Amino acid sequence: MPSPTSERRITNEIRTLRFLNGEMTQAELGERIGLTRQSVAAIEAGKYSPSLEAAFRIAEVFGKRVDEVFHWENDAYS
Amino acid sequence: MLSIIDTMSTINVIFESTSHRERAAWLHLVAMTISYGPYFTLMSLDPPTAPLPDLRTMSAFAATVVVQIIVLAVGHAWLALARPAEAKAPADERDRAVELRSMKIAYLVLITGMIMVGVVMPFSSSGWKLINSAIGAIVLAEVVHYGLVIWSYRRGWSA
Repeated sequence: MPSPTSERRITNEIRTLRFLNGEMTQAELGERIGLTRQSVAAIEAGKYSPSLEAAFRIAEVFGKRVDEVFHWENDAYS
Repeated sequence: MLSIIDTMSTINVIFESTSHRERAAWLHLVAMTISYGPYFTLMSLDPPTAPLPDLRTMSAFAATVVVQIIVLAVGHAWLALARPAEAKAPADERDRAVELRSMKIAYLVLITGMIMVGVVMPFSSSGWKLINSAIGAIVLAEVVHYGLVIWSYRRGWSA
């Protein structure tokens, strides 16, 4: 049974996806989605939850669905 | 020579790990500490007793504001010269979210201070004590504002 939402964290696959896309830098990704390099780093590290719009833009850059980029921690990444 | 290289390297590491807005927030905290720290120390050690306007206290406050403006002007110029592209970049959604939350909490501090100074204190105080309390409330609200901006960038922030 899943734990209450407040105890769960959203994690992401941005680091992996950057690597798989020719070692795209945080600055490059940030430029393409309209965020600073530091904000991309914060999202990647789970220190900032992006807006829905930014999440969709990030997924679009990698050609993935949002739930393939962002998902609950410990949930299987498909 | 080595210490200069070490210092430059440390500055570079700090610049790499912080956003322009976080650096600016640090600058504002430093400017307030350098300017209002000595002012409030002087006011507590030697409280103004002369009737208003009391030129001595007015001069001290004017000097405080001038020091703050100079530190901010020099600091902002340095930050802009060090990383021009970052300084010119518009705020992104994270910057706006951090600013909004910090301002919201700082506003509560400011309004509480203003109620104390404008509604409660006039029954027991007057003159520079009242004025300095108002200045103190503004400075405290600003410290909370910039402190929260730094805290939000450092520790992270989720909606």
